[in-house]
Parts: sequence; C-alpha cells; structure tokens
Amino acid sequence: MGNKQTTFTPEQLDAYQDCTFFTRKEILRLFYRYRDLAPQLVPLDYTDKPDVTLPYELIASMPELKDNPFRQRIAEVFSEDGDGNMTLDDFLDMFSVLSEMAPRDLKAYYAFKIYDFNNDDYICKSDLEKTVNKLTRNELTPEEVSLVCEKVIYEADVDNDGKLSLEDFQHMIIRAPDFL
Amino acid sequence: FGFFHGFYAEEKLVGNLVSMSTSERIKAIQKMPETMKKKREIRNKVLKEITKKSRHRSTQLSCCTECLQGTVVSFRRFGNSLSECFHLLQLWHKTLKIIRAEFGTSVLSYFIFLKWLLTFNIFSFLINFSFITIPQFIAAEPNNLSFTGLELLTGAGYFQQTVLYYGFYTNATISKIENGPSYNMQLAYIFTIGIYFVICFLILLFSIAKSFCRNFINPQTYTGNASKLLCTWDFNINNEKAVKLKQKNLSTQIKEDLTEVNREVLNFSVTERVVRIVIHLVSWVASLGTAVAACAGVYFLSINNLKLFVKGHKNDLESQAAMLVLPIVASLLNAFIPFFYSWLGHLERFQTPGHQIYVTITRNIILKISIVGILCYYWLNIVAASESQCWETLVGQDIYRLVLVDFIFCLLGSFFGEFLQRIIGTTVCVNLGLPEFDIGRNVLDLIYAQTLTWIGILFSPLLPGIQMISFSIVFYVKKVSLMMNCQPPRKVWRTAQMTTSFMFLLFFPSFLGVLSVIGVTVWRLKPSEECGPFRGLSSMYDAVSQWIKILENYTASKWVVWIYHNLITSELFFFILSVLVLIFTYLYWQIIEGRKTMTKLLHKQIIN
Repeated sequence: MGNKQTTFTPEQLDAYQDCTFFTRKEILRLFYRYRDLAPQLVPLDYTDKPDVTLPYELIASMPELKDNPFRQRIAEVFSEDGDGNMTLDDFLDMFSVLSEMAPRDLKAYYAFKIYDFNNDDYICKSDLEKTVNKLTRNELTPEEVSLVCEKVIYEADVDNDGKLSLEDFQHMIIRAPDFL
Repeated sequence: FGFFHGFYAEEKLVGNLVSMSTSERIKAIQKMPETMKKKREIRNKVLKEITKKSRHRSTQLSCCTECLQGTVVSFRRFGNSLSECFHLLQLWHKTLKIIRAEFGTSVLSYFIFLKWLLTFNIFSFLINFSFITIPQFIAAEPNNLSFTGLELLTGAGYFQQTVLYYGFYTNATISKIENGPSYNMQLAYIFTIGIYFVICFLILLFSIAKSFCRNFINPQTYTGNASKLLCTWDFNINNEKAVKLKQKNLSTQIKEDLTEVNREVLNFSVTERVVRIVIHLVSWVASLGTAVAACAGVYFLSINNLKLFVKGHKNDLESQAAMLVLPIVASLLNAFIPFFYSWLGHLERFQTPGHQIYVTITRNIILKISIVGILCYYWLNIVAASESQCWETLVGQDIYRLVLVDFIFCLLGSFFGEFLQRIIGTTVCVNLGLPEFDIGRNVLDLIYAQTLTWIGILFSPLLPGIQMISFSIVFYVKKVSLMMNCQPPRKVWRTAQMTTSFMFLLFFPSFLGVLSVIGVTVWRLKPSEECGPFRGLSSMYDAVSQWIKILENYTASKWVVWIYHNLITSELFFFILSVLVLIFTYLYWQIIEGRKTMTKLLHKQIIN
C-alpha cells in the first residue's frame, strides 16, 4: 500500500524509470524492500532527496545476496564509496543490472568489475585466484588453483599482456552463450 | 562503450542523445554503465537541451506544442501502465523464478519449453473455437446418444455426435437470415487449419534462427576452461544448499579437467578397437530391432482394433475397454523401452559421457518417430480405405485416446519415477540419494504429445483445448514433484545449446512430419461420403478448387484467381523460389567464411 505521491515526486519516478529497467511498481516495491532493511534509518518521504546510506551488513543479509559467494564484491562495485554501503540510488542500480532485462554487455561490464578484486581495470592472476577460491569454496589446492588460472589467462588473453582487460573479457562473453 | 573522461566527451554524448527519438534515448540511457547519479545528470541535461530546442522552434505555437507535449507525456505514462498490466498476464512468472533460483537454468529450460508449447495450443484452440466451432453451434443437429461417464476416457459414444470430432461438422453454407451473409463451413475449416499451420511454421523457423544465431557462434573457440570458470556461475541461484552443491560440482569438474590434461589419449590396439566397434554395432542392431518389434506390435494391434469398430456401435463395457488397449500398449512401450536403451548405453563403454547421452537420446527419438510413423501409416492407408461410416472421426477418437493415456502415464511416471525413487533413496538404499530431474526424457515426452496433438487438429478441432488442460496439469505436477523429490542437477548442462536442440527437434522430425501427414490427407485421401464438412468431394482440397472456379465468374475477384493459378498452383513459381533461396544461402555462407578469415587476421594483428 502507500500513496505514490508521498514517497517520490512524479519527476523522480520518471527519472528512475528512464535510468533503470524497472516499471513504477517495481521501483516502489524495491524502495519498500530497501526500507524494510532499516525502517528507522530510511524515511518514507523521499521527495526532498535525503542522504541515507545503509551499511554493508544490512545489504548482505538480503535473501538474494545472502548465499552468493560474490556478495561483498557486488556491493562494493555498486556502492558510491566503494565499501559496500549503499544509498537508494546504488540499490536500484544494482538490482537493475542484475535483473533479467539488462542486456548482456552491461552485465559483462559489471561482471568484469566484480571479478577485478584490486580495482586496477585488469583481471590479473591474483584476481583470478581469488575468484577460483570463491567459486570452489577453497576446495582446490594452491597448485591446482594456480594451474587453472594460468590456463584461463592463456586461453582468453587476446593481446598477450598476461592479464585480462575489459575487451578480452567481453570477447570471451560474446562466445559463451551460457553467461547470465 | 568507453569511459567518459572529460567535459567534451560528455557534451558529445548529450548531443548524440538529443538527436535520437524518445524510446531510443531511454534505451541508450538505461544501457549506460554509469552510476545512477551520473545517468540522472545526463538525462536532465538532455531534457533541458530538448526543451531549449523546441522553445527555439515554436515561438508562435507555444501553447499548442505545450499541450501536445503534455499529451505525449501522459500517453507514455499510459503505455507504461499498460505494459505493467501485460506483465501480470505472464503465466507462472513467480513459479519460474523460484525454479530457477533453486535448480538453475537447465531445469528451467524444460518448464519454459512446456510454457511455449502451451501457447501454441492456446492459440490453436482459440482460432478453431471461434472460426469453426461457434458457427457449427448455429447449424448443429441434435444429439441422440446417451452420455455415460466412460466417454471421457474413450472419446467414443456420446462424443461422436458433438463438435469434438470432424464428423459432426456440416458441409453447408450457414446463414441465419435468408439471403443474408453466409458462412462457408468447408472453406472456413480448411483455411483456419491451413493458416494456423503456416503461422506455426513461421514462428518455429524464426525462433530457431534467433536461438541458433545467439547460441552457436563459433562453438569450437571457447569451449575451454576460461568460459567454464568465468561464465557458467549461475548468478540466479540463491538457495544455500544449491549454491554449496554448485560449488562442489565446479571444484570436482575442475579437478577432473586437470587430471585429464595429464592423461594421454590411450591408443587402443587393433583387437580392442574391433571389439568396441562390434559392441557398438550389436547394441545399435538391438535397439533398432526393439523399435521395429514395437512398431510391428502396434501395427497388428491396430489392425485388430479396426475390426472392432467396423463391426458396429456396440456400447457395452467390453468393447469400450478393448478400445483402450492400443493406447495403453503404445504408452507402455514408450515408457519402458527407454530404460532398456539406457541399460544398453551403460553396457557399451563410450569415450565420453556426453556421447552416451546423445546416443541414448537419438535412440529414443528413433523409437518415438517409428511408433508415430506406423500409426500414421495405419490411419491413412488402412482406416481411410476401410468400410467404416466416418473414418476421420475414428482417427480423431484414436488420437484422443492416445493423448489421454499418454497424459495419465506422464503423471504416473512422475509419481513412480521421482516420488518412489526419493523414498527408496532416503530410507532403504541411501547410496542412491535423491533423484535428478531427467530433462532429456521429459522433453521428448512433451514433443511426442505435441506431435500427436498437431496430427489430431484436422480430425478433432478441439483437441488443442484438451491438450491445453493436460499441459497445465503436467506443469503443476512436475513442479510439485521437482520441489519435493529432486535435487539440483550434478552435471553442467550446456543450457543454451540444449534449448536450441529442443526447438530443432520440435521443428524437424515433429512439425515437418505433421505437415507431410496433413498434406497427404488433404490432397490425396477421399473424405467420407456421409459425414464431415467435405462429404461428397473427391479430396479435401477440392473445396478450394471449386471456390476458385466460382470466383472466376466475378470480375471483382479476378486478382485472387490470378494469384491462385500463377503462384500457388504453378510449379515454375516454386522452382524459381527454391533457386533464389539456394542462391541467398550460398551468398550468406560465403560472407560468413570471409568474416572468419578476417577475424583470424585481426587476431594475429592484435597479438603482434
């Protein structure tokens, strides 16, 4: 329930609709989920654009992210301060990119940023090692992890600089139809 | 996209966006990989530029353009709320999301396929009901037969004189008012069904082309480890157990791949190779032999069945039950022979497990195609030439029974296959564990059921409605069984390629086979003398030729006659069309080869 008019102005809703892949109803539903994480911090009235940030721990407790091994990286990539503390804008942005309506190139761009642990715009061997460990719950030995990372770089590195740039990554994604 | 450093890049972007149309602009803004704040800034700048420009242009007509803009904005808002309503109509959206969250996209592909087939049936039922059945209600003859409950199972008896079957439809031109508008039932029947099949053909062709284009680009380049590692993590799964399972599978797979690298390809000695080839040959002979034996059994059973019908309408329990023997035997064969095939597959030692799956699926397809094929042969050659009163209704009843019994067996299969296996796996024999959802077998069952429905549309126009109900029930039963009994799949299925293969299987043996059966029926077979919309004609297609002859007398419709004689019935036109299609295919193939060489050259350039 709730009156549309008291939460957002029509111009704000129009702006959100133009900048994300959601309809008005979905935007309001996401707002209520954001608010449910911390009702005392988030006001009901967003017409004066209050500056509210929710800490990372609350975001990571959401059922969609709770079991995802990359939840911390996802929150860091989409948050404004880079630490995982998200405003409503960041929250809507994150779910817009993760939704099924976002095109693959956009998802590939953000997936690249998620796998880039040290934020240097390249996926180097140490980034890949961290990825493999997260994907397999630390079940492989360090030698196996290292071997896998070397094979991945060998296969996907098009410009032969020993690490994956955004173009290498996108090149690989286009050829892998199973990417979600 | 690049990174938008600097003021000038942003100005250029704003300029580009201003020159686009509204919907393109919104899409471009949505796709930008920037934060929400940045996107909002850019959007506001763009809107300011647009209002500045329009203010420049229209100093005189300011009030008109303002209210025009106001109406455009409110129209867009209305369109948005309409599309929201449309989203609500999407069937089972929430259920599909839950399935994807817990079991991943490979199991989801089965349910999406089922939903897609359901839309075909809904569409067919709606147009058949509106264009064929409703006019028939106006010109209906009274039904003198009595209704006993057994008709629901056998389709005979009371149902014979209802709109369910071909035989009930009139061949007259229906008109309520004297000298008022008339409705030619013959043309309506043949055109409705013909147009439905043409639309299905186009939809299938475009879906396959789109899916193929998206999923089969250069499959040999990146089947390796890189894509397996970075691209197969299914971000849609958010159930803790499923995530742990997926991680364990990935680590097992990586370990297997690493050990494979160290193992050399074993060179078999000559005797071992000969032994393997002999084993493969023997199992192929065994499987093809079983298929042939099954077909022979079905054929002889059907011939015996025919004697029952031609004798007359005896409505006692025994003859009714005897009608059900053929469908039950056909479904039993379809249910148990695949187990024999999987056992054979285990016996032969294939080089990779993927091989085993493909060979088993191919054998199942051959079995199902042969059973449907022999039934069609029986219907078109034996039943059509028999002395029964109304052979089309007999065929329609046969198909009705087959569809119904197949549906019952599907439900039973779900019960015995998954429910019992879970009970055995958790209590008696814990090594087995929970069953996995067998995607291949279930999809083949769906394709078989849809093939039967498509064949049956000509003989029983309301059959898609029955199939509609049965598919909906199957959806719920499979979903409940999946949630209660199954575990997420252990193997990593290549989902995108699987979906394309399902659609291809639906198109190539199934739909094209149905088209040939319908073609033979409409062009070659003589309809029965005493029932149905085409009684008395020499073939069903004659209705169209006679209509064209009538049209030749009216000058207003000479163009229809011209199209008919020179395009549809002329062989030269189809010959020219085929030659053009072949030329275009060859040209496209050459373009693709040229692009492949180009990519290789560019690749070399980047490395150096």
